[in-house]
Amino acid sequence: MKVDAYSKMMAIQASRRDLLKGAATATAVSALSATGLVGTSTRQAYAADDLRAAILKIPGVGKGSPGDADWQKVGEMCLGATKAAIKEGEFKGVELSFMGLNNQNLHNLLFRGFLKPWEAYTGAKITWIDLAQADYNPRLQQAIASGTIDFDLVEMGAPLEGDVCGKGLTSEMPDWVKKQIEFDDLVNYLKPPVGTWNGKQYRVTIDGDCHNFNYRTDVFADAELAKAWKDGGGKGDWGVPKTWQQVQAVTKFMHGKKFKGKDLYGYLDPLKGWGGFAFYFLGSRASAYAKHPDDKAWLFDIDTMKPRVNNPAWVRAIQDVVDMIPNGPPDQLNADPGNTGFQQFLAGTGTMLSWWGDIGSNAKTNDTSVIGDVCGFSILPGSDDVYNSKTGKWDTLASGPNYSPNMAYLGWGVYVMARVDADAKKQKAAWSAAAHLGGKDLSLWCAAYPSGFQPYRNSHFNVDEWVGAGYDKAFITSYLNSEKDSYNHPNAAIEPRIPGIFQYYSVAEDELAKIYAGKNTAQAGADAIAKAWDAITDKIGRDSQVKLYKASLGL
Amino acid sequence: MTSISVPNEALPPQSIARHNLGHWVLWLGSVLLIVVAGLQVLDTAGITSLGFTSWRPTLYAFIAWGCALGTSLVLTRGESGQQTLFLLPALLFTIAMVIFPTIFGLAIAFTDWNLSSNTGVHFNGLDNIRQLINDPYFWNALTNMFWYVLAVFAQYAIAFGLALLLNADIVARKFFRVAFLLPLMLSPVAVSWMIGKSLMENRYGPIATLARNLGWESVAFFSTPWIARASIMAMDAWVSIPFIMILLLAGLQALPVEVKEAAKVDGATSWQSFWEITFPLMLPVSLTAIVLRIIFELKLADVVINVTSGGPGGATDTVSSFIYREYRDRSNVGYATMLAEVYLVIIIVFITLLMNFVSRYMRKVV
Repeated sequence: MKVDAYSKMMAIQASRRDLLKGAATATAVSALSATGLVGTSTRQAYAADDLRAAILKIPGVGKGSPGDADWQKVGEMCLGATKAAIKEGEFKGVELSFMGLNNQNLHNLLFRGFLKPWEAYTGAKITWIDLAQADYNPRLQQAIASGTIDFDLVEMGAPLEGDVCGKGLTSEMPDWVKKQIEFDDLVNYLKPPVGTWNGKQYRVTIDGDCHNFNYRTDVFADAELAKAWKDGGGKGDWGVPKTWQQVQAVTKFMHGKKFKGKDLYGYLDPLKGWGGFAFYFLGSRASAYAKHPDDKAWLFDIDTMKPRVNNPAWVRAIQDVVDMIPNGPPDQLNADPGNTGFQQFLAGTGTMLSWWGDIGSNAKTNDTSVIGDVCGFSILPGSDDVYNSKTGKWDTLASGPNYSPNMAYLGWGVYVMARVDADAKKQKAAWSAAAHLGGKDLSLWCAAYPSGFQPYRNSHFNVDEWVGAGYDKAFITSYLNSEKDSYNHPNAAIEPRIPGIFQYYSVAEDELAKIYAGKNTAQAGADAIAKAWDAITDKIGRDSQVKLYKASLGL
Repeated sequence: MTSISVPNEALPPQSIARHNLGHWVLWLGSVLLIVVAGLQVLDTAGITSLGFTSWRPTLYAFIAWGCALGTSLVLTRGESGQQTLFLLPALLFTIAMVIFPTIFGLAIAFTDWNLSSNTGVHFNGLDNIRQLINDPYFWNALTNMFWYVLAVFAQYAIAFGLALLLNADIVARKFFRVAFLLPLMLSPVAVSWMIGKSLMENRYGPIATLARNLGWESVAFFSTPWIARASIMAMDAWVSIPFIMILLLAGLQALPVEVKEAAKVDGATSWQSFWEITFPLMLPVSLTAIVLRIIFELKLADVVINVTSGGPGGATDTVSSFIYREYRDRSNVGYATMLAEVYLVIIIVFITLLMNFVSRYMRKVV
């Protein structure tokens, strides 16, 4: 659908809503429709707050999943910063290639829509390389290894910076881009060293990643279950678990019970590999056990890269997963994180789930979600005790349970490849496209709607903006707090930005699959993972890995 | 027409000139190929810096050499050269696309090439072989292949039944022939999603619902090793049975009718007619179909990758899906290539032995 046609349609819909919903809605909607009808929306047409409010109403929370027309509209409305920096038609004749994902029909599909108005304005043309999640790493690694980088921009996660930026394959970010994207607005944990290599800035951040804890408020508010919990000798009051020990107990308690006529399940573990990405979910169970507040490392020993994955903390986390398999849904052994997040939890199966922020941004805006009104959020559960790798003992902290949010993947970013540097016009065009996608206002829309990205800027945590978009205040406060508190947690478990990190995760997934299927014990399986990890480190180069691991932890 | 070999001395001067020209064309083409490929190798090794950005020059030199070879054959051998020209494109294509990659792969198989390694590619002797011998995932996958290959015989039995049915005088025979062929036309990836991920989905999948209605309380098609393996076999069979069926149907239609009619006249029952006449006569076709299916089965990967990723705990893993993971998820090019090369040798040896056994058996039977 063309943007103009869409705008007209929206204007018609908007006037109907005006009659029904009153003056407050009318103000925002008329601003939107007026802008759309003339077809030359710019940021100048709005005060900054008006623009943010207006884009958040596209299509509006609770009004179905957004589509291409919405993405184009948002892209057009957020073109102000581009127009201020670039002349119309300045990149005529420039052709750029963009490689990214097409997970859940998001990522690249949104970028296409967002960049269509940018292409129309600048005159540049973008061709797209869409990849499924599982195909992404091999495609990127092959391009690097064979010297056949055929893309000018890439959507990439920070863990791969070692593989790409470390090899000098990316273009350094110009200062004007840093200014345009309002770099200082990023939450602290996404500031350097993330996005940098050898002190140079490479990444336009478009996402912030951490696993938070998603739960069903209706289940934990149910009087009958509360009574059954009490009658069954459950420890403490019936409520949302705060520690993994409680998660285990609640999951066990729920086994065999019904809720609203359906089988009730507790915590959902993804037990099937996902091209390395499923390992993050064990990491989320392990971080509270393994990440000691006095120690920055939790995956490897800092000075030697000796794996910690077979220490008592990780083995306990693995054993926790194994213990809960009989209490999970049938066929859970064949459920990957995509299944647990989108086919199970959002569809109403399961009560607790660790996932990236997508669950929160999809709960109310995705057509397939049935839990929009009954979903709550917190940081990942803690643990009553934490393993101290230095002493080899379990510590009980005076401050209470140990919490350690898992900063899984450190978010997606857009990187410009160094191959454009030889052509100044092309280089500017590539950075302009990246800056458009990483713009402050556009990022708010991405955080609020299904996009594959979660909040990552300080400006994303203004609850009133989200409420204005139609979000329920309690829901969105709970969601944003879970994200903000994870990002700012002093004991966050940081992902190592070392080359080949997904090789480590992928090998671990194979061994974990054997453990989950009962073919190996938790300890023996963890030992096998550690052995395989050591072999990978040796293959890639232990000394350089140690150096990069330290750097990734800010040491 | 027979071509007669004539010594050079007996040829007329024009023929000798043509003959010599043919040799020169081939020599020029060969020199061009050697020089271009050599320069590219030196450039890739960093010894020279001629600015090659891709291997296309060598490819073009190979094509030019192919043309030179063809021209040379015609000029030096006349009509027999022209005849050879018909085979030449296929031969050169096979060399370029099968033989060269296999040899090149063999070279890679003896390296520690990992795409994430900053230190590049190194020859690592027999390390990859040692790793393979001690790799429980490889042996587990190979054991699974044994079960998958056994399942081919079940597929064969079903396919034979269907072929007999479609060969009989049944209503809407043409329709059923096309309908039964449809699964063969579907991509195994589509089958994985339509059947493995939708019809067999344990909450809302129709097959799961049917199973629940039949009394299976906790329906799970991919959680226990044997059920998961059987589920994969069933999906694979759904795609593959039509292939065997169509071969057998062709065989059945080619059988001499007289023998069966004679048996009928002699009072043979349907079962006797099938077991004593049809089945033995169909043995050559049957064995061809089974051998072909075994070769295809040994390459089973797509359904497994899409539905179970080899799980639960490796119960459905195949050698191909394991190689795929090793290469794709772990960027282990050297080791994955060694796995592929060794598996190729295993398949060749196994199929050769099988063919020998089959031909001996056939000699005995016939």
